[in-house]
Amino acid sequence: MKEQALPAQRSSLPPLRAGFRSVRFLLLVLVLVAIYGYGWRVTKVDLPALTTGTKFVRPFVVDLARPDVLTRETKSQDVQIGISTNPAVPPEQIPLDPTGPQLRVSTTVAPVGSMLTVTGMGFRPETSGTLFWVNRIGNRQPVGSFQTDLQGAFVATVTVPEVFQGPDAGAQGAQQRLLVHASWPVGPLRFSPTMVLVAEKIVETVFLALMGTTMAVIVAVPLSFLGARNLMTRNPLGTTIYYLTRSYFNILRSIEPLILAIIFTVWVGLGPFAGVLALGLHSIAALGKLYSEQIESIDPGPIEAITATGAKPLQVVRYAVVPQIVPQFIAFTIYRWDVNVRLSTVIGFVGGGGIGFILQQYINLLQYRQAATAVWAIALVVGAMDYFSAVIRERAM
Amino acid sequence: MSGAAVRVEHLTKVYADGTVALRDLSFGVAPGEFLVIIGLSGSGKSTLMRCINRLIDPSGGKIYIDDIDITALDQEEMRKVRRRMGMIFQQFNLVKRTSVLTNVLAGRLGYLPPAWALLNYFPKDEVNRAMANLERVGIPLKARTRADQLSGGQQQRVGIARALMQEPSLILADEPVASLDPATSHSVLKYVEELNKKDGITVLCSLHFLSLARRYGTRILAVKAGEIIFDGLPADIDEERFKQIYGEEAVEVEIA
Repeated sequence: MKEQALPAQRSSLPPLRAGFRSVRFLLLVLVLVAIYGYGWRVTKVDLPALTTGTKFVRPFVVDLARPDVLTRETKSQDVQIGISTNPAVPPEQIPLDPTGPQLRVSTTVAPVGSMLTVTGMGFRPETSGTLFWVNRIGNRQPVGSFQTDLQGAFVATVTVPEVFQGPDAGAQGAQQRLLVHASWPVGPLRFSPTMVLVAEKIVETVFLALMGTTMAVIVAVPLSFLGARNLMTRNPLGTTIYYLTRSYFNILRSIEPLILAIIFTVWVGLGPFAGVLALGLHSIAALGKLYSEQIESIDPGPIEAITATGAKPLQVVRYAVVPQIVPQFIAFTIYRWDVNVRLSTVIGFVGGGGIGFILQQYINLLQYRQAATAVWAIALVVGAMDYFSAVIRERAM
Repeated sequence: MSGAAVRVEHLTKVYADGTVALRDLSFGVAPGEFLVIIGLSGSGKSTLMRCINRLIDPSGGKIYIDDIDITALDQEEMRKVRRRMGMIFQQFNLVKRTSVLTNVLAGRLGYLPPAWALLNYFPKDEVNRAMANLERVGIPLKARTRADQLSGGQQQRVGIARALMQEPSLILADEPVASLDPATSHSVLKYVEELNKKDGITVLCSLHFLSLARRYGTRILAVKAGEIIFDGLPADIDEERFKQIYGEEAVEVEIA
């Protein structure tokens, strides 16, 4: 019967429907065009910036590949010689240490752009070095490099660069120097000061997350029972408490930890403690909701069964409720710790302590190699936390 | 151990939503009887079982266990009476993530100080009792296994061992084999029968299949829409009675 009724209904409708459909489709397209057109404008989409900006981002990307992790002590030999770029001004006379390496230049008066041949002797054999141009106020500019031979000698050519002549420009500004700097590493490889600081801060980050998570667990476990529908909605008072708890969770959860961190840095000052409070407060809500939902999903069967044996309420909770929630509680908690480690890197950006704090400093000071060390450390620790939390969660379930 | 006598007088249960589950039910169970309760799903079998140990509070009427009116008891007194009433469930109701042994030991909680629960402590003789009961239901080697690793039949035997820990004088079995296959059903019911015959424990057991009811029951009570429509010997259920209990369209299914 039904099968016959359907086609009949269809045949009476098509003309109107088809027309309406295409109009509706057109309208939909127009609305979508308007929405995305506006979106394009307000978000100031600027695709060419992706290509014109590469030169700004390149040093950072390059340095990402060579983080400042290991270092060695270096020893160096430095010899300077005075050069004048103005024939009217005599070059500076710098006395050479007769026992040290010796330097000779083709001329000590060399205008900007002219070539200069540098000959060195008595340097450490088979050592590489850099030639720096040094202006009146001591700014160094690399102008070439060299490699000494078995006798410790080298020959290099340098083009005289145009440099800032200093505030007291005038004639004296022409008096500049050529610095020959040979250096070689000595002693064993060791962690660079940056690496040591990064390690210290990453440990601080992990512990910041641990303290915040622990604080949240202590509050969220008891609260989660108050936010479990199956336990609380048996009488009007309980129902009220249930809704209050759930609203508290929902409101708190909707406030980003970053905003909480800003509030707490104002309250307790910059540093990891503000981060602990921010993560802790946010995690109370996040964990409380997960815990409550876990309690709501427990099987009432075992509770009924243990009650039927004549057990007291405490025994019922211990033997029928706890075994059903503990593994998930552990899993949720470890997952939250993992999330908090990730969040605490961002929280550092607003002064909440941890590695984010120094990462932001490195970026602001354009110390990209140091920033790279921090970025890699974060990636490593977050990856490891992610892996181990997954393993432990799997075991717990 | 000796069986308890049960007397139910004018038992009525109306749920909060107005559903009438039991209407003015009256019957008695003699010590050592194996009373099988049959009836369609929703006929009130489960509610009746749960009223007897007061997991559900009756709306009216009285229930006497060995001449004690349990409907008049307060929570603490009722808890003490419950200790002697074992209950077996359709879904076994074991705590899945804990060991079989702990599940069995949980049957003894009513006799133990609650503070021990915080330390998960059970005295040695209780552990021995649990092992003896597991041996009795034929699965002593599963003691350390997690309950959810067991087959359905084994889980129900753990349920029986848990009930045995209570040293019960009455066993309430709420469709104990409804989740099991026919062969397993028999093996489980045989353990219940043994408790009834050997230990003289009174058994109230609800079942779906008439063939099982005939095989194990010493007496049959049929419930329909919260009322008793048959109370008598298994042999007395003929074709006409059967249609009365299960409806005109029902066909009796034999279970091997």
